[in-house]
Amino acid sequence: MTTMDKGAPRAGGAVRAPQDFAAGLFLMAVAALALWLSSDLPLGTMRAMGPGMLPRAIAVLVGLSGLVLAASAFVSDGEALTRWHLRGPILILGAVAVFALTIRTAGLIVAGPASMIIASFATDEVRWKEAVIFSVAMTAGCILLFKVALKLPIPVIAFM
Amino acid sequence: MDLFSNLALGFATALSLQNLALCFVGCMVGTLIGVLPGVGPIATIAILLPITFGLDPTGALIMLAGIYYGAQYGGSTTAILVNIPGEATSVVTVLDGHQMARQGRAGAALGMAAIGSFIAGCVATVVIAALGAPLTKLALLFGPAEYFSLMVMGLVFAVVLARGSIVKAIAMILAGLLLSTVGTDLETGQERMTLGIQDLSDGIDFAVLAMGLFGFAEILRNLESPEARDVVKGSIGRLLPTAAEFRQSFWPIVRGTGLGALLGILPGNGAVLGPFASYTLEKKIAKDPRRFGRGAIEGVAGPESANNAGAQTAFIPLLTLGIPPNAVMALMVGAMTIHGIIPGPQVMEKNPTLFWGMVASMWIGNLMLLVINLPLIGLWVRLLKVPYRLMFPAILIFCCIGIYSINNNPTDVMATAVFGLVGYVLFKLGFEPAPLLLGFVLGKLMEEKLRQALILSRGSFSTFIERPVSGTLLAVAVVMLVLALLPSIRKGRDEVFTE
Repeated sequence: MTTMDKGAPRAGGAVRAPQDFAAGLFLMAVAALALWLSSDLPLGTMRAMGPGMLPRAIAVLVGLSGLVLAASAFVSDGEALTRWHLRGPILILGAVAVFALTIRTAGLIVAGPASMIIASFATDEVRWKEAVIFSVAMTAGCILLFKVALKLPIPVIAFM
Repeated sequence: MDLFSNLALGFATALSLQNLALCFVGCMVGTLIGVLPGVGPIATIAILLPITFGLDPTGALIMLAGIYYGAQYGGSTTAILVNIPGEATSVVTVLDGHQMARQGRAGAALGMAAIGSFIAGCVATVVIAALGAPLTKLALLFGPAEYFSLMVMGLVFAVVLARGSIVKAIAMILAGLLLSTVGTDLETGQERMTLGIQDLSDGIDFAVLAMGLFGFAEILRNLESPEARDVVKGSIGRLLPTAAEFRQSFWPIVRGTGLGALLGILPGNGAVLGPFASYTLEKKIAKDPRRFGRGAIEGVAGPESANNAGAQTAFIPLLTLGIPPNAVMALMVGAMTIHGIIPGPQVMEKNPTLFWGMVASMWIGNLMLLVINLPLIGLWVRLLKVPYRLMFPAILIFCCIGIYSINNNPTDVMATAVFGLVGYVLFKLGFEPAPLLLGFVLGKLMEEKLRQALILSRGSFSTFIERPVSGTLLAVAVVMLVLALLPSIRKGRDEVFTE
């Protein structure tokens, strides 16, 4: 199984709640990103707020809560960071991406089985034959349900 | 009586053949997803949203509502028979429900859960009918400042009621508000934080965000911590509880219904707290608290009534004030606006058939659930034996088709994958995604009302405090927040959630 440890800050053991510490850093990064993205928006005044007022005000608050969270990680004990698995996120989100890329160009008849088979490999319990048969059957079921019965405008066969 | 003529109108609407069928479909789908762990009402309603485009709005909402409260029924089945909650609201049912099942009393637990839910559903329907009109009148007196303060109060409730760290819950709400500001500014038309991406100029689609955070991230979460399924073997036993069990459950059902209905009305997803509150209360007042956790029927009857009552009264803020108290209600807003209905006090005036039809359909739906659910238990059990390795690819494909169908846009599917990743990171960092979604839902409306109120008051923030209703709402919010932060109460709050 492919795993990696997120750069868990354990320097000197001062951080007593690594998960909270990482969460605080994450929030501060989000705040910084939002402040940067909204830096060109006019603030306006209280009487007539500009488009930049709220995004920046909220971003500052997000950053502050991140700061509080990160600081509290030095004071009280909390949970450790758990291992980050790569297999699940890559295969599941990859399967979704494959669906997005093929639904218009090839249609559900390709996008369905392809994404489901890729996703199936996100777990150790996967069985080749079962995954293939199941995904084809499910796709047929989806075509009947969404296209034939509910008449959604989903491309079934796009390349013909 | 006004109420009676309104209810008569409601039943006339809800009893039409089409609406009955839609109610039935909603209840069945709701039960199905309630039974299946890992598929919640948020993802399901988001998937089915495109299908409702072709229906008339009343029928569409009747069906979607059925999914939501139907899921509360289904969730208990899984909790009792498999020892894992089918829905977030049936977490506490696991404790005593599964113990009863192990003692061969699964039937009684299932039966009592259904009967309790039915009673709660009936009471909640009456509550909605009775509170609808007065609250609508109240809403008409609300100006932008009052609306803003009410939503602030709702968000504070969401923080107080959230599980785990308060700072993290606040951060999630703020992050949701921040996400809601992405897109074109309402007043100046300027693009905000869109990175120049065309698809973002209308803002982030709610269904895309919800499906990413709750659909895909949920799969990733489940793959990482596989749950031990402990499906009860052997017979389920008789479904009808004995007279003694009825007597034991009567007051817990009454108290659970009351608690659930009350908490459900609160903006800020109080419905989730109902079952916890009910369980804690029953345990506190029980003569022998040690029975709890070992198959006490009160521990099933109370919480199950509470979650069903809460699921229904959660419609009150939406239908009367136009404020969605939780993510499912936000999807209802989507379903309504698609049909050109703006949620809020005017719904009852302009679309009385929709309002009362929906209220009446809830009662009919509860009756249907009671009748169709119990005989179908065998079917649900068989469904629960489908392994997760087959379940998640199926969920994935349904989600993909659902998102694609909303705008027929593959970019939406891609965006959902991105939010799936965000959801996974949040899970790893110990954040709950529910408050984020609520912040996002209320964000746009809050900004609009805030700016309106400040224009009216010429830029003075004191308007929020000086106006009596607004000031009171903010005071309640502050008191709640302070109380939640006090060490002694905080401990009690933690206890409620760890039980």
